[in-house]
Amino acid sequence: MISLGLIPLFPLLGCIILGAIAVISSGSKKGPAEGFVGTLAVMFPALSFAGVALLALNMPEGGIRETLCTWIDIPMFRAEIGFLFDGLSRIMLLFVTGIGSLIALYSIGYMHGDRGFARYFAYINLFLFSMIVLVLSDNLLLTFLGWEGVGLCSYLLIGFWNKDLNNCKAANKAFIVNRVGDIGFILGMLCLVTIGGAAILNYDVLANFISMVINGNHVELVVPFLSVAGLLFFIGCTGKSAQIPLLTWLPDAMAGPTPVSALIHAATMVTSGVYLLARLGSMFAILPVVLDIIVVIGMLTAFWAAVAGLFQNDIKKVLAYSTISQLGYMFMASGVCAFDASIFHVFTHAFFKAALFLGAGAVIHALAGEQDMRKMGGLLKKTPVTACVMIFAFLAIVGFPGFAGFWSKDLILEKIFTNCSMAIPGFTLFGAEIPTIPLNGVIYTVGLATAVITAVYMGRLIILTFFGSYRGSKESEEHIHEAPAVMLIPMVILAFGAVFAGYLWADSIGIKFFAETLAPVVGAAQAYNTPAVTAHLNPVFFALLGTIAALLGMYIAYKIYANARIPAAKGSSAPEGGKATWTFLFDSLHKYVGIIPVNVLAWICDVVVDKILAAIQWTVGAIAMILGDGATSFQVRKVRLQVAFSILGLIALLAIVLLTGGTL
Amino acid sequence: MLALIYFIVLSIIAVGSAVCVLLSRHPLYGALSLVASMVSLAGIYGLLGSPFLGVVQIMVYAGAIMMLLTFVIMVLNGARDSHTPMFDKVSIFVIPAVIVLAGLVGFALVRAPIAFDAATVRGSVAITSKTLFDVAQTGPGYFVLFEVLGVLLLSAMGAAVLLAKKRLGSVDSEKEDKH
Amino acid sequence: MELQAIYVQILALVIFAIGLIVAVSRRNVFFVLMGVELALNAVNLSFVGFSKTLPNDLSIVGQVVPLFTIAIAAAEACVGLAMVILIFRNRESVDADTYSNMKG
Repeated sequence: MISLGLIPLFPLLGCIILGAIAVISSGSKKGPAEGFVGTLAVMFPALSFAGVALLALNMPEGGIRETLCTWIDIPMFRAEIGFLFDGLSRIMLLFVTGIGSLIALYSIGYMHGDRGFARYFAYINLFLFSMIVLVLSDNLLLTFLGWEGVGLCSYLLIGFWNKDLNNCKAANKAFIVNRVGDIGFILGMLCLVTIGGAAILNYDVLANFISMVINGNHVELVVPFLSVAGLLFFIGCTGKSAQIPLLTWLPDAMAGPTPVSALIHAATMVTSGVYLLARLGSMFAILPVVLDIIVVIGMLTAFWAAVAGLFQNDIKKVLAYSTISQLGYMFMASGVCAFDASIFHVFTHAFFKAALFLGAGAVIHALAGEQDMRKMGGLLKKTPVTACVMIFAFLAIVGFPGFAGFWSKDLILEKIFTNCSMAIPGFTLFGAEIPTIPLNGVIYTVGLATAVITAVYMGRLIILTFFGSYRGSKESEEHIHEAPAVMLIPMVILAFGAVFAGYLWADSIGIKFFAETLAPVVGAAQAYNTPAVTAHLNPVFFALLGTIAALLGMYIAYKIYANARIPAAKGSSAPEGGKATWTFLFDSLHKYVGIIPVNVLAWICDVVVDKILAAIQWTVGAIAMILGDGATSFQVRKVRLQVAFSILGLIALLAIVLLTGGTL
Repeated sequence: MLALIYFIVLSIIAVGSAVCVLLSRHPLYGALSLVASMVSLAGIYGLLGSPFLGVVQIMVYAGAIMMLLTFVIMVLNGARDSHTPMFDKVSIFVIPAVIVLAGLVGFALVRAPIAFDAATVRGSVAITSKTLFDVAQTGPGYFVLFEVLGVLLLSAMGAAVLLAKKRLGSVDSEKEDKH
Repeated sequence: MELQAIYVQILALVIFAIGLIVAVSRRNVFFVLMGVELALNAVNLSFVGFSKTLPNDLSIVGQVVPLFTIAIAAAEACVGLAMVILIFRNRESVDADTYSNMKG
């Protein structure tokens, strides 16, 4: 059996080697040989994937644990670098390394001719290393290391074309908003350490602790403290996985190269929040208040982002808001303690979202950089393979029966309806008894509506891009070409995944393979929250509703956009008017809650506090100078006078000696 | 009794000469008064049983040192500034201060019980030299100090010569060479 | 009345005080030197006076130490006068108040 430490080692080696190549070749004008660099760049993630596959096939039921070394060892705190390979991390690692390798392959084609070729792949490998560490680690501290690492790589890769100031600003925004979330993560860790000491950061120890608490009936004692910790961890998740209120960075992050958006902002980094919730599932299972908050925020985010997706004209921005919306679904599932369902949606979402992004990248590549959908159209004939891939992925995301999204999204909606125990408690109002109103139906309806809107905006994207007639300029029409093979192969593979990945857990037809692999990890947590409404509803019922929603959305999109006259695109692709207000709602919130108060505070510091401090400094300096001048006045010009002062001093000494009885 | 009379006379001369030093205008007058004071002090040494020291005082102090001082006064025309006022503000401040100091010390002295010892040794040349060149170190050893003192005098002489000589190549020596 | 030891000390004190006054309050630099010589003499006298209060061998100290003091006073007068000559060469003045380069 190979050591677990090899899996993160390969991308790390790749990063170092490619980084060295980038630095060494930084003097030359053309850069290093692309074939050589590309081969290296794909080899390391592929090796990692091979290692994961090897381990995955022979994994024992309880998982493999391996401790590398001791990281921190002081009397107050002890942490180790250890790896945990169980059902959850196996799934995550398989698709992280797999999709990572595919996207590295795709990038060879996409970044062809770019001067920063080697630097790009060094960053990609660094990202994969951080993500693997995040997923593979067996304690929260090492996960946090990976968490920060992916944030860093996100910054590096979003601002990859760093000559343009807007890209740098987007990268800064991503990093800073992530950082705000990370405060939650750190404080959550501190909370846990306060309760259980440094060892509780290890996932196994935490699970044991929680089960001890449950068995000993001490739940009520621990819940307040753990609720705070859980809330703080959730804040970290909102930062990393772009939920309300820390989601403003994800649309701006589309300034980076498209493969980066596919890898980081669709498949891997943004799902680390969901992964964290699943890992800490046993802790969240006993915190009903936090779970309710998660559900509500997930729901609001999903709905808001879906509506915002309708208003966008840039193809990548539509996909970004779509990602936020789908992440909202995953959080809704986590909130009702259906962690396996949320991870399943992570799995399928990785495939179809990555396929969508890579397809969008191929479209952009074909149109030589054009991203505004109002200038596209009729690409079905000209780029057939791309169109096929994107249409398959589109069917997956809207939940068309038989495709991946159908299984995962409907599973989520079903779990929400059956497991959610949120309710407005009953109370008496003027003598009338108002009963408790269960909210699971409300949340389910909002989720369903969001699915309809998802179908609408995705349909709009497909129709505007591939159907109708081309709306761009004549000379760009001549240059439209299909993407090279190195870009097409990963897209096709991902399209296959988008179609077939869902069959790993086809609930309605009885395949529960996915759930069984995850059961050892999250089973206990899910069992704790027994559903309030026992499932006497046939799963087929939910599947039916989901299909109707998808078909309804597609029909609406067809009706509105198929033969509509698209007004000529003028100016930037950003939305205007009311659409802009909705889209930039949270940016305005951040501005009024965060940025403006900080600016005011800075102004106060500059004008008031600075002046006060300067005055204090001046006072101290003046006192020193006055004392010094006074002391120098004792130095006189005349030597005789100086000697006379000495005589005076002598008299004083003598007097003191005599008075204190020194002599005689 | 006789000793006391001698002592009083000699002390009056000594103090008087000292006051003359204080009040004299011309430095040469001051130097001469100083010589008188030293001679009378030499007499008091002899009265107190240290004749060797008294003679050394006259030979070295009154003889050599004061002669040197007088020589330099005359060479440099020390009376040049005799028009400047003798006593100024500083002096008015100093005199009472010193008087207070002397008063304090005298007060401390008077309260101490000291008396002449009957078994004191009269300081003849033989005994003094025996103490000084006591190589066997039966008493406190002054031999090394004596030799060091010789070196000190030599170095003082060398320093004085070095300090006061004209620099080679300086303006004054150029002027001298031209004549 | 006999000659008592304290009389010698009082005389020494008086001469020392006068020497100090001369040294500090006269402006002519030669008078400063003369005042210092007076003070040294007074110290010698005090030494001799105290040694006569001691018996036997210890009283020889009162001869030997003043001997050293005289020798050192000679050396000091020599060097001091050399410095006076040196300063005089630069300033043409024997007024001690003009020697004020190190003013505050």
